[in-house]
Amino acid sequence: MFERLPVPAQFDRLIVTGGIVTGVILGPVFLVLLSLLLVGRISAPELVFWLGFTVIVVGALGTVLLQNIVHAAFALIAALIGVAAMYLLLASEFLALVQVLVYGGGVVLLIIFALMMTNAQDDPIVTDGSQKPFAFIVTLLFGGVLVAAAIDVQWGAESVSLITFRDFGARLFRDFMVPVIIVGVLLDIALSGAIVNARPDIEEHSEEASQ
Amino acid sequence: MDLNFRYELLAPEIAVAVTAVLVMFADAFRNELNLKRNLLPQISLLGLAVALVFSLMLGNVSDDFARLVQIDEFTTFFRVLFIAVTLILIIGSHEYIDRHVNHIGEFYGLLLFSTVGAMLMAGARDLITAYLAIEVLSFSLYVAVSLSKNDPRSGEAALKYVLLGGVASAMLLYGLSFIYGVTGSTQYSEISAALSAGNVDFETALILGLVLVIAGLGFKASAVPFHMWTPDAYEGAPIPITAYLSATSKAATFALFLRWFAGPLLPAIDHWQWILALLSVITMVVGNLVALQQHNIKRLLAYSSIGQVGFMLMCITAISEQTGSALLLHLVGYLITNLAIFMAIIAFYNRTGKEEINQFKGLAQTNPYLALVITSGLFSLAGMPLLAGFVTKFILFQSVVSAGYLWLVIVALVASTVSLYYYLQVIKQMYLYQPEDDGNGSNHRWNLTVTGYLSTGILFIGVVWVGVYATPFYEFADKAIAPLFA
Amino acid sequence: MIPLENFLILSGFLFAVGLYGVLARRSAILILMSVELMLAGVAINFAAFAAYLDVDGFSGMIFALFVITVAAAEVGLALGIVLRLFRERRTSYVDAANTLKW
Repeated sequence: MFERLPVPAQFDRLIVTGGIVTGVILGPVFLVLLSLLLVGRISAPELVFWLGFTVIVVGALGTVLLQNIVHAAFALIAALIGVAAMYLLLASEFLALVQVLVYGGGVVLLIIFALMMTNAQDDPIVTDGSQKPFAFIVTLLFGGVLVAAAIDVQWGAESVSLITFRDFGARLFRDFMVPVIIVGVLLDIALSGAIVNARPDIEEHSEEASQ
Repeated sequence: MDLNFRYELLAPEIAVAVTAVLVMFADAFRNELNLKRNLLPQISLLGLAVALVFSLMLGNVSDDFARLVQIDEFTTFFRVLFIAVTLILIIGSHEYIDRHVNHIGEFYGLLLFSTVGAMLMAGARDLITAYLAIEVLSFSLYVAVSLSKNDPRSGEAALKYVLLGGVASAMLLYGLSFIYGVTGSTQYSEISAALSAGNVDFETALILGLVLVIAGLGFKASAVPFHMWTPDAYEGAPIPITAYLSATSKAATFALFLRWFAGPLLPAIDHWQWILALLSVITMVVGNLVALQQHNIKRLLAYSSIGQVGFMLMCITAISEQTGSALLLHLVGYLITNLAIFMAIIAFYNRTGKEEINQFKGLAQTNPYLALVITSGLFSLAGMPLLAGFVTKFILFQSVVSAGYLWLVIVALVASTVSLYYYLQVIKQMYLYQPEDDGNGSNHRWNLTVTGYLSTGILFIGVVWVGVYATPFYEFADKAIAPLFA
Repeated sequence: MIPLENFLILSGFLFAVGLYGVLARRSAILILMSVELMLAGVAINFAAFAAYLDVDGFSGMIFALFVITVAAAEVGLALGIVLRLFRERRTSYVDAANTLKW
């Protein structure tokens, strides 16, 4: 199994390239935003928002457009970390923490492992399906509708109130206790589902042999 | 804020979930504890029976659990229905499961967990509970679909189901987020209040939310533009899961449709009625037309069930207390009929290992009883008199007409007539052709096992009973729908 | 103060881009990653509505939390199925999985 794992040198190169790309894209944006902040045109939260916005947009586009599947996975990490920044702006530290832990730590790692165990080594270059133009049109229409609906409405938004860890925990385990239990069931299902599918059927064979 | 934490209200769900865990553990430690394999279905049946008793005991309660789950006649109706379906399914298919399914302990466990999800879908009174219940049901089915032994179609069907299911969930959630944004709450009662207060000037967002919610639910119910997964999942899944997909999964989605569209979303009826009318027409027409070209019995039943979804969507379009109770009655009739057919197919598959329509040749000679069950089931689906399908469809169409949707019913009648054609194709194979002799005695008479007779027998009697004397079911449905419109 | 619309536009963008990925990509894992993008958009939407519009401010946050949880569970489940399919077919491309007609 180990000969299939990418050698560290490849990862080094990936990280260096990723760092350079991130710097090249984010550097100018950051400088522009910083100068705007210093001039007083935007506030500090807005600087964070636009920085996060850039990270998310670039990351998301990278995830769906990059031809190398490992690069796409790293772009996904960037996008999801950007989402964590958004949660911070929305005054929910807890969600931001969960986002970083679950996605940055768990999900993406899982995806990269799956990539290694399937086709990352033999065939890292992925060509997209033939339905690109169709997908593009659908997406454009759909995205247009979503953005139009968001702008069209006068939301009359109020101010953001900070939600502390203590509040979050107290409410989660009291008012929303049933969902928490249901999620427990759900994780159980997902776990057993992943195991029965990912594990080769050794047990069944040995059983037939013993009977 | 006072919340009501009376755990006994959730006794049926807890009982089934605990049984599921027990079954999985019993399977995991089977060798250590020297347990017999057929202990697993027995534990499951026992747990389900206990849960059934609990649900009936809670039949007259009208209360909520922590404002998250509503226990009323509607919930009880679906609890009883879902538990009964799972019971019959396990009785009728434990042989099949033993032979053709990987990981038996997980299989029974998932079946039970999905029943929990379905029951919670009917009982939820908060969007969060409802969403998680949907996911419990879907996740169990994603896995269950993938458990066919030695069938290359199984993993593939599961992959398509899980990927498309993920997209559908995302759509549903996006829609829900807009509804939450517009109304400011996830509680059904508060959503309803906010929407009917009329101070909603968020129309664009509301309509977008409704469209996305209907798309997501349409996927779960396999309404037509969102049905792509249905035939594949039906074909690749083990047959009991196919039956389960066509029965509980569908009924649970319609329980949710009723809860949402007769409850919190009713004030916005002008915004969603036309979408559902459109969806229902497309679903009826396409489902029944595509069914004409199918060669595999599971695929045929998949498309036929899509057609049935069209009929059911008519009721949601013309929602009222009357159409609601007609829908519940139709669901009962449809579930009994469909399960009867599937149990018969499972018995047939156990004997022959075949599932193409033209392999049913001469079944009337080799096993006239089974042929009779399948025939009556198919005729019932087509809506022949004296069978369940006729009565329930008649009442359904009548209620939709009286709600002012004559044109929908006309389309439905035409679609229904078309469906008779492909059902007759199967019946023709069974009655008009001689059985093929492959040298292994496949043209000899054969008998079902005891449990095969039991499950098909109960369901066959059910099909005829609902067809001849539907009054008790009708009263049950009437009582169940009442809390939604109270 | 950042207007609510900004967050809504961002989440709409994420959702649409994810949808593009689902429609255009061939590898099951890449499709799964695109679904994750869509769900991230959904979670932002919930959190934004909760922070700005909900007086109580809680149900949306908790909904977002559950969306994250379910999305993570879904990745695990789906990758299990992908691995199994890879073992059977030596590929993770959805259109190589073509025994069944779409």
